[in-house]
Amino acid sequence: MERRSFIKGLGLIAATSVVAPSIAMAAEKTASSTKMGIDKALAEITGGKSITKSNKVHLKAPEIAENGAVVPVTIEVDSPMSDVDYVKAIHVFATKNGNVRCANVMLTPANGKAFFSTRVKLGVSQDVMALVETSKGEFLSASQNVKVTIGGCG
Amino acid sequence: MGKRKSLIKVKPKKYHTGDVVKVNFMVMHPMETGARKDKKTGKLVPAHYINEVKFLFNDKPITTMQTWESLSTNPVFTIYFKVPGKGELKVIYTDNQGEVNEKSKKIKPKS
Repeated sequence: MERRSFIKGLGLIAATSVVAPSIAMAAEKTASSTKMGIDKALAEITGGKSITKSNKVHLKAPEIAENGAVVPVTIEVDSPMSDVDYVKAIHVFATKNGNVRCANVMLTPANGKAFFSTRVKLGVSQDVMALVETSKGEFLSASQNVKVTIGGCG
Repeated sequence: MGKRKSLIKVKPKKYHTGDVVKVNFMVMHPMETGARKDKKTGKLVPAHYINEVKFLFNDKPITTMQTWESLSTNPVFTIYFKVPGKGELKVIYTDNQGEVNEKSKKIKPKS
């Protein structure tokens, strides 16, 4: 019996030593994925589908932001927000920040209105972009250039 | 785990069942990017930011958000919400250092 349990133990050690590095690697991957370009970040969300610029998406941001640390951004989408036709998600990007992603907002028909507003940090003058995913699987976008006088990072 | 100051505002103040109201959620949070250096010690300040915000009504999710360090210090989240009746609006937020906090507000529609 002793010998049997000993061999079992050996097997366990071998198994964990194989699994553990792969877990560590996965953790590294997620850590590095916070720093990615805008194209990669977009592709990750759309999965290769085309994005159309739409005037249904209203993105409001100041043209000139004196302080890059606090830039109010408001996104509103023309949508009935019914159970059949609603906005599934609003993604906010700052295209030239170290981490381009600001927020992914998952909406439901219980919202009643496709609206999201927050405040972002902008390091340099850049485009702020909104990517909207509808329940029909369409991807709509809108962007606006914001000039930053004093950067908000560092 | 220090308690964070946060606030939920519902606008307008008087509303009825079925109305679409504005919900403002503010939280005091440093939102460190992890790239800033401490001026005294010259060391990098570790990243500390909110990475998940959930809006629930009677424990049913309305809006869930995934957020990153690009949001400003003391961020504000504004959404709209259709009042289904009496209940409790709850916001649960998590940050990358594992801190979980929540804030709730009673929803009392007039008629």
